[in-house]
Amino acid sequence: MTDFEPKIVAFLCNWCSYGAADLAGVSRMEYPPNIRVIRIPCTGRMSPKFALGALRQGADGVWVSG
Amino acid sequence: MAKCTSCGDCTEVCPVVLPSEYDEGFTDRKATYKRYAQAVPGAFAIQKADKAPCRLACPAGLNVQGYVQMVKEGKYQEALEIIMEDLPLPGVLGRICPHGCEDACRRCDVDAPVAIRDLKRLAADQFDPRQIEIPCDPPREEKVAIIGSGPAGLSAGYHLARKGIRSTIFEALPKTGGMLRVGIPEHRLPREVLDREIELITNLGVEIKTDAPLGEDLTIDDLFSQGYKAVYLALGAHKGIELGIPGEKAKGVRQGVDFLREANLTGKTEVGKKVAIIGGGNVAIDVARSAVRLGAEEVTIVYRRSRAEMPAWEEEVAAAEAEGTKLTFLAAPQEVIVEDGKVVGLRCIRMKLSDVDSSGRRRPIPIPDSEYDIEIDQLIAAIGQRPNLSAIEDVTGMEFTRWGTTDVNEISYATGREGVFAGGDLQTGPWVAIGAVAAGREAAESIVRHLDGRDMTEGREPISYDDPRYRPIPKGEPSRARAKMPELPVEQRQGNFKEVELGYDEDTGRAEAGRCLNCGYCCECYQCVKACGPQAVTLETHAQQPEAVQLNVGSVIMAPGFKPFDPSRFDSYNYAKHPNVITSMEMERVLSASGPTGGHLVRPSDHKEPKKIAWFQCVGSRDMNRCDNSYCSSVCCMYAIKEAVIAKEHSGDELDCAIFFMDMRTPGKDFERFYDNAREKSGVRFIRSRVHTINPVFGSDDLQLRYVTETGETVDETFDMIVLSIGLETPPELIELAEKLDIALTPGNFSKTELFSPVETSRKGIFACGAFQGPKDIPQSVVDSSAAAAAAGELLGSVRNTLAKTKEIVPEVNIKGEPARIGVFVCKCGINIAGVVDVESVRDYAAKLPYVEYATDNLYSCSQDTQDAMTQIIREKNLNRVVVAACTPKTHEPLFQETLINAGLNKYLFEMCNIRNQDSWVHKNNPELATEKAKDLVRMAVSKVALMQPLKEAELDINPVAMVVGGGISGMASALALARQGFETHIVEKSDRLGGQALNLYTTPDGQEVEGRLTAMIQDVENHENIQVHLNATLTAVDGFVGNFKSTLAENGEETVVEHGAAIMATGAHEYKPEVYGYGQDPRIVTSLELDRKFKEDDPTLDKIESAVFIQCVGSREPQRPYCSRVCCTHSIHSALELKQRNPEMNIYVLYRDIRTYGEKEYLYKEAREKGVIFIRFSLESKPQISTEGGRLAVSVVDPILGQPLEIEADLVTLAAAIIPNAEKALADFFKLPMNDDGFFIERHAKLGPSEFATDGVYLCGMAHYPKPIDESIAQGKAAAARAVTLLARDKIFASGTVAEIEPMLCSQCGVCVSICPYSAPYFRSEEERFFPGRAEINPVLCKGCGLCVASCRSGAIHLKGFDNDQIFAQLFNLAEEMGV
Repeated sequence: MTDFEPKIVAFLCNWCSYGAADLAGVSRMEYPPNIRVIRIPCTGRMSPKFALGALRQGADGVWVSG
Repeated sequence: MAKCTSCGDCTEVCPVVLPSEYDEGFTDRKATYKRYAQAVPGAFAIQKADKAPCRLACPAGLNVQGYVQMVKEGKYQEALEIIMEDLPLPGVLGRICPHGCEDACRRCDVDAPVAIRDLKRLAADQFDPRQIEIPCDPPREEKVAIIGSGPAGLSAGYHLARKGIRSTIFEALPKTGGMLRVGIPEHRLPREVLDREIELITNLGVEIKTDAPLGEDLTIDDLFSQGYKAVYLALGAHKGIELGIPGEKAKGVRQGVDFLREANLTGKTEVGKKVAIIGGGNVAIDVARSAVRLGAEEVTIVYRRSRAEMPAWEEEVAAAEAEGTKLTFLAAPQEVIVEDGKVVGLRCIRMKLSDVDSSGRRRPIPIPDSEYDIEIDQLIAAIGQRPNLSAIEDVTGMEFTRWGTTDVNEISYATGREGVFAGGDLQTGPWVAIGAVAAGREAAESIVRHLDGRDMTEGREPISYDDPRYRPIPKGEPSRARAKMPELPVEQRQGNFKEVELGYDEDTGRAEAGRCLNCGYCCECYQCVKACGPQAVTLETHAQQPEAVQLNVGSVIMAPGFKPFDPSRFDSYNYAKHPNVITSMEMERVLSASGPTGGHLVRPSDHKEPKKIAWFQCVGSRDMNRCDNSYCSSVCCMYAIKEAVIAKEHSGDELDCAIFFMDMRTPGKDFERFYDNAREKSGVRFIRSRVHTINPVFGSDDLQLRYVTETGETVDETFDMIVLSIGLETPPELIELAEKLDIALTPGNFSKTELFSPVETSRKGIFACGAFQGPKDIPQSVVDSSAAAAAAGELLGSVRNTLAKTKEIVPEVNIKGEPARIGVFVCKCGINIAGVVDVESVRDYAAKLPYVEYATDNLYSCSQDTQDAMTQIIREKNLNRVVVAACTPKTHEPLFQETLINAGLNKYLFEMCNIRNQDSWVHKNNPELATEKAKDLVRMAVSKVALMQPLKEAELDINPVAMVVGGGISGMASALALARQGFETHIVEKSDRLGGQALNLYTTPDGQEVEGRLTAMIQDVENHENIQVHLNATLTAVDGFVGNFKSTLAENGEETVVEHGAAIMATGAHEYKPEVYGYGQDPRIVTSLELDRKFKEDDPTLDKIESAVFIQCVGSREPQRPYCSRVCCTHSIHSALELKQRNPEMNIYVLYRDIRTYGEKEYLYKEAREKGVIFIRFSLESKPQISTEGGRLAVSVVDPILGQPLEIEADLVTLAAAIIPNAEKALADFFKLPMNDDGFFIERHAKLGPSEFATDGVYLCGMAHYPKPIDESIAQGKAAAARAVTLLARDKIFASGTVAEIEPMLCSQCGVCVSICPYSAPYFRSEEERFFPGRAEINPVLCKGCGLCVASCRSGAIHLKGFDNDQIFAQLFNLAEEMGV
């Protein structure tokens, strides 16, 4: 498992977490490139279907943040 | 600023490191910087002061700070580039310059100056100056003759060459370099260094002819007739000055300059065994050190003053001494003793120094009869030299000074003869080489202007500052020793001319450069100019100067803020000395996730996680002993609690947080609850004690303090760190500004305002808000700022929109039925993206994706020319969808949408993907995977954008009419503010008169009668043509939404309908009728308002009172009503003072829990204590008891200090009863407004939206929001009006296109969307509707596009445009290449 590189899909709220992810860049922080961000207008938009859809597409983890 | 892409490349290369103010000095920043990552605007700024003193001190104006910083960075080439802007001889001057710059260095105030000269040499040692590319203008036809190849001549040739002008240097001697070669011995300046740097000049095409003296064979006229268009005379000063004593012509007597010339040209010269040298300058020392090297046995320097007056550099004198030269001070030669025509001795006389004379010097005076002889066989005079003018003294037009130098224009260096210029020692007399270099450069400039026929002096005045502004020397700047120059051992110096000073190694030199204090902040190295791809920082940017701009305005709003109190002056707190005593502002940074430790709570000294932290309240507030701030700063209690709670959240339960306070002041909305939770749930300790001293614990970084508890116990406790809760104050520069603007200030130096006009300063048309108006927190500051806007609007409402410009609209192309034709633009952002992500491969990849018609890459997508090009491409290629892969949509989506609009495309046919902030910037060490990620993101975006449809933005007309519900003081303030700005306003009051609770108040705390002011206000409302007053009126129904409300009023039994665009809730509050403390059982027990009524009526019973008691917090801060009523402390103290005024002998007791006279209300508390009002504290657990037995009214309370019950006989007991909101439930339902548990309305945002609701078009003010005094009620009334005007002043509003829409066919009428929406956008269609009766529908104007209803709809009937299921699934299906496409 040590070389396991999970694929993660993130659903980030446009108003907070997406901005935070931008700020991580502005601050030149580093994190592994295994994450794909989907911007949503609010975590209120998040539907279980999206999480399931991401997993079905091969994601190892789904992160919802808002 | 418009060009800045906020990439930060400039910061990367900036060498100037300064402490970050944003991080309170815990971290560093550069001189080119952005204050903090989220700063708006996102552009970077350069901090500059005046040109550094070293630069000003340099005769050639070398950018010293610039090259020192480059050396610090190890960028020697860049250092040389900076030096060689002015000086072509870096290695030479790096050795021999007398460095006046170092005398000016402000590091002298700390320890010793930076070794500037030696750092210049290091740069030239590390990088061959000949390799520096010197930019030259295209060659010109004219040629110029230069006489003399010394520093002035070489410099002139160099600078002329840079301007494209060829020159020939005529040198009288057989070798080049002038005094640099023949005046300076090789042990100070190795010849290969000089040769190398002369070579770099000749490499530019400068020709040097040696053995070509000016004289009979070569005259100035000859030069002109040979075609030279100008002549620069730089002959130097090579003629020694004679001593003027008998015997000077004897054999063995020489001039120092002659001695050196011969030695330096031939490597040898005649040297005696016993040599005496006369003089105290560098020539004398050079002669001495050369003589020693050439074999002299005994070398003595005879100088007529003392060592301190010697013009030679101290290090040279010391070196000469070390090499064996003897120094004789206070002696002057009188006669050369000659035998057989040869020197055999020297007669000297002893001297003494006079007192300081008018020239500031101490003159040497011979001491009579003190002559003595010394035995010598060679005497060398080195008392000065002057130019040899023989070759030029007859030239027509040339003039000479009485010191035997050439007279020139002091700026242009032009002589009296046209086309002839002069400089260097020839013009100044013997001076420093760097001065000659400067003269050569200036002459070159003049010569170019002469050739061009331009004015030779215009714009060339030297820079000087009367009072230069520099970076202050940092407090506590540590002393760091100046680096020592390594030297050739003395024993190895005999018989050779090997260089003595060996130069720094890199590490030593770079560390030495690190001692520079960066006086000018920016060092003008211009590395940022080179680094800036989009050319946002240019040389012009650097040259920007402050500009005075005159603006024509109708009103001024002052919001200049405050300065946090500096506790350094409190020695007993050890703030300045101990790293673990920090201010609350510093603690904010320590706790911040974006702070110096990324939110990890550690103490500054050793980065240990603290186990115990103490906060000290009222540092710089409520303190007349140690500072002059007697007011309460209002915000500190709350922020200290917040910091303690957050600290515990960060560090867990083991962390002990203790807050030491006098009164806990949490009178703001929901603040008391926060205090209760901090105490009871988070376990923060609150200790009522003022600590006097903090003592460092010896042998650790801990801090010890001793305090006295309420019960009188003395406790010693040790903490890991201590936070000083510093107050707010107005800085001196603001006080000065207020004076300039003629604005009156309060005793606490805040802007003076009246209670009934809380944002109006003493000067008409100037308004104040925020902490400049008084210490206050964020919500109150936001209220005041809106109020100030309303006040300004009242003055300027009539000219609204007169300066507005309208924008041209490009017609939108109809793309209906067209297949997607997608254009993908991949941005390089200079190197910000392209440096990590392989942009070309992303572009090529994008081109192959389905529906992509066109793909390209841009250097900077956001630049104006790229925007224009994109518009062009969209039109040419007939694109109907656009993807931009660049930075973040958060900042740049609107810009690119604008581009689409300009190209005639609907702006929603666009998708951005974030390959900078969320890709290249965060994966810079993983370029391959970052490129893969960029491709994935582009593919996802392409798949989504293909499904985008043009969206329409719903348009809504605004009815510019307002309705204010509630005719109290805040409602009236609102109505007046609206009416005065020209808006028709209805004010709805349920009682039969306007005035509200203010009708019950007697006077304001500043002693004004309320009634008069209130009556005037009521009259203003009733008489205003734009206001309709509805008395005895209640709302019975409200229909509609923002911009278009229809409200039904029951008014005096009749129904009327009012149509309005906005509504303001000013429904107020009332006084609690106590059920405790015997209220109602005895007429002597009254509430605060009842006492006011007695005052108003001048009740005769008031005169009979001998003892009065006030009981605070009656019904407030109780479990069933856990909020502070905010006004009662001030009200009771004000009433107590009123009673004292009626009868100063009256005994008055205020029984309280915490006195909450926030802000400058504190003065009242102080006054009351001074006038003898007695304050006794009680706790919630032991409240006062009232007894009315036998007609005797008595109050008993436990004295907290004595711990004993105390009985007070009273003639009057005033209960400071709570304020209870009117909690109009029906109204809340009509407008769908939320209320908290206490019955106060919940505003849009506790801090940033205090005067409005989340529901659009509905606003809030007064005590319906929270209890507040008159000034705050009026301010919020105005604030609500200002917020409403932002809506009413627009004819139409446009909703966003990304809103939810219901397919009515699928709707099951479950109502989840209607109940769940925070913005009340969904509603049920009427049952009477012909189509889809009773089904849900969404008002697009109210919808904020959050998608909550979409995710909640069990029927799948709701779509969110722009973020619809198919679009998000398209992104999901294209997550990985093998899965999609």
